[in-house]
Amino acid sequence: MAEDTTLMGIEEDTQKDKYLTFHLAGEDYGFEIKYVIEIIGIQNITDVPDMPSFIRGVINLRGKVIPIMDVRARFGIENRDYDDRTCIIVVNIDGTEVGLVVDEVSEVANIPEANVEPAPKTSHNNDDNYIQGMGKINNGVKILLDVHKLLFSGEMQELAATLEEQ
Amino acid sequence: MSMPLDDDQIEIIQEFATESRDMIEQLEPAIIELGQNSDSETMNAIFRLFHSMKGSAGFLEFDHMTRVAHAAENLLDLIRNDEIDLVPDHVTLLCAACDFAKEALDMVESDYNDDAMVAPADDISERLHQAIEVAQKAKEAGGEEPAEEADQPAVTPAEQPDSSLDFPEMEITDEMRLSFVQEGNELLQNAEQGLLAWGENPEDKDAIGDIFRQIHSFKGNCGFFGFSQIEKLSHQMENILDRVKSGSKLAVDNPADQLLAALDVLQQALNNISDGKDDTVENLDQHLNELQTLIAPLLGDFLVEEGVKEESVSKAVETQKKPVGEILVDQGAASKDQVDSALKKQQETIKKAKAKAKPAARTKTPAKRQDIRVELGKLDSLINLIGELVIAENMLIHNPDLKGLELENFNKAGQHMSKLVRELQEMAMTIRMIPVSGLFRRMIRLVHDISVKAGKKVDLELIGEETEIDKTVIETITDPLVHLLRNSLDHGLEPPDERIAAGKDETGTVKLSARHEEGEVWVTIEDDGRGLNKEKILEKAISKGLIEGDGSDMSDRQINNLIFAPGFSTADKVTDISGRGVGMDVVKKNLEKIKGKIDVSSTPGQGSKITLRIPLTLAIIDGMIVRVGTSTCIVPTLSMLEAFRPVMDQITITPDGDELAKVRENFLPIVRLHDILGKKPDSHDLADGILIVLEYQEIRFCLFIDEIVGQQQTVIKGLSNFIGNVPGVSGCTILGDGEVCLILDVGALTDSAEKKSL
Repeated sequence: MAEDTTLMGIEEDTQKDKYLTFHLAGEDYGFEIKYVIEIIGIQNITDVPDMPSFIRGVINLRGKVIPIMDVRARFGIENRDYDDRTCIIVVNIDGTEVGLVVDEVSEVANIPEANVEPAPKTSHNNDDNYIQGMGKINNGVKILLDVHKLLFSGEMQELAATLEEQ
Repeated sequence: MSMPLDDDQIEIIQEFATESRDMIEQLEPAIIELGQNSDSETMNAIFRLFHSMKGSAGFLEFDHMTRVAHAAENLLDLIRNDEIDLVPDHVTLLCAACDFAKEALDMVESDYNDDAMVAPADDISERLHQAIEVAQKAKEAGGEEPAEEADQPAVTPAEQPDSSLDFPEMEITDEMRLSFVQEGNELLQNAEQGLLAWGENPEDKDAIGDIFRQIHSFKGNCGFFGFSQIEKLSHQMENILDRVKSGSKLAVDNPADQLLAALDVLQQALNNISDGKDDTVENLDQHLNELQTLIAPLLGDFLVEEGVKEESVSKAVETQKKPVGEILVDQGAASKDQVDSALKKQQETIKKAKAKAKPAARTKTPAKRQDIRVELGKLDSLINLIGELVIAENMLIHNPDLKGLELENFNKAGQHMSKLVRELQEMAMTIRMIPVSGLFRRMIRLVHDISVKAGKKVDLELIGEETEIDKTVIETITDPLVHLLRNSLDHGLEPPDERIAAGKDETGTVKLSARHEEGEVWVTIEDDGRGLNKEKILEKAISKGLIEGDGSDMSDRQINNLIFAPGFSTADKVTDISGRGVGMDVVKKNLEKIKGKIDVSSTPGQGSKITLRIPLTLAIIDGMIVRVGTSTCIVPTLSMLEAFRPVMDQITITPDGDELAKVRENFLPIVRLHDILGKKPDSHDLADGILIVLEYQEIRFCLFIDEIVGQQQTVIKGLSNFIGNVPGVSGCTILGDGEVCLILDVGALTDSAEKKSL
């Protein structure tokens, strides 16, 4: 583990302010690039029973079994059939690897801290707590997501809690 | 040891700790045996334990450990020499010393010194000294019997003052021993090579001379160090070689085999010495005799026996032109009859010697078994990698791209690889396997302690100690075994008076056995106590609300299984051994972890028998691939009983809408897999699909699926932590086409089946 942290330390600089941006239901989103392991095309997903609707199942990534989360379903956006642009972004947070299904991956964008606005305070729902900030790039806006919260807050937290009870 | 330690020292200390712990584990049972039958063999083994612990601890400056070990050694030495009598207190004391040593070892491992052990060390060594004094006084009072060493068998080192054991009295240091062993090894190896070469080329006189010199120097060294037993043996070998060198006749044409066998014995003894033991040679006399028979009797000896004058014989031998017998007859010194009878005798003896010498089969003792201590983590990752390899191989051989192609050579290569992968996998599995003897032997101590506490007399029988089980499994069943044994001893076995009243032997028997059966390992605990009290169990279960009704419809088996419910205990009072009702629950939980099963059977008044059935490996299972709709799942083959296509006559639907299938005389609840997976099946009609009968801990049910696709060895993988436990699914595997396939958890399915049937 010690190795990992030093590596992270070195890579911190090169990865700073870089975001992997992707397209989802007409909006542009971004993740901090340091979480991203790889991007793969959509593949056959094996269903796992008794999961929240946004956990699509598991796939085999070179011998590793990783769970797949559909980001559309996570945001409660209407489902759409997967096509050849649909991608799975594999992220790694504290050793947990999860694949995230998005409509289309765009590019790696450089958004300096100065161009990131804090998340707007909206009153009507709690979903905005996945949002880390709004990144301004040229004339567009990218919604920067907090991967940690995306994976572990809300229903996943409840799931984890029920598991612990068991 | 206040100075900072470097890595080397730490390593030495750790090595010391692990080794000592191993030794203690081995010898604790021996100590308890000592109380029952004190043969000199066990006594010496225990003596060696404390002795080598004392030595190592002294070297590493763990003074407190040294002190305790020394005191224990003193006590043992006195008992060994019959200067004091062994009393049960001594056994308890020695056990306490072992406990102390274990504690001290823990301390040593964490802090690298044993300074904190002052008080307990004082206490124990004081108690040991007292015990010695008390015993000595008692002995003196009891009419001073002199130590009758002569009574002891000649082979025990106990009465050999020059044995290596007592090195404090001899001025032989460890260093000297080490160099003796090294040199001895070299000499024996040279001799062995020489013998092998000579065996092929018996004419080579130089070779004999060389072997003779090697053995001669070995003998000399042994003599110097006082290893009298191997000295004797090597002396006998030397005699034979001398005969061969001088061209005398031997009973067999070529004694190389016998000599090699003797060399092996020497090598073995040398290994013992390097392990810090003494030079005891088992069956020394037998080895000596075997060699002796090789030396052919001389005709002259028989002639003398026959009454021929010795001088005439020597004279005759000197003439040596004709056969000795004829010359003697010619000279008139012996009659024809005498010579004939002597000749006959000679031939017979040679024949006998030959017959005797032949079976001296050579049991090859390898120079020394080499063990390497490997970190378990490394082994685990090796096994994981092999798991990956199995999957990768499956993916390669059953690659969809290859479908429909004629690939004769590829298939051949593929088969070869599959075979290798299979072998590799089996090998990797055996690496993790260790014999249960360690686990079983630990129970000896437990049984001893409990039987003392509970005031019962118990004989513990261990059967199948050599059975090998995966290391993690052994760790998981340790606790269950402890609980089960406690129960057997505390509740199962009756106190002596009650046993006598019931017409049984006062001493109860508990059998602990392990064996391979039906692709599983069965660990059985059997006692001849009072057995399970069904009425009491039922009464308790009803009062706790564990079952509905009066339980009259329950089978014996179901009743027996109630004892595994959490918090269940029929004990009237909670003792410090058992009775809280936690134990059996632990047993069940732990066994579920390793997918094991428990069988309980019991005959009132005759005892009970509990069998733990554990799958051989945890990582790989045989699975049946089943399909429902578009998804496939794997059902462990071990829990499958049969599969059939039902006809509607077999199906009964209860008013509640539950479906039951009649399989022979039983009605089994049907669980629809598509309901569990939330999938759409090909057909909802039971008659269109297949029912598989599954069994889990004696509960049977039918699983409804669309079809059985095939069978496959599968490597179990956990689902991601992110998802956590999925009800009804125990894990997943990767199929040949790279798809992930879920493995069904038959245990969890049983629960849903049970809910249905209730």
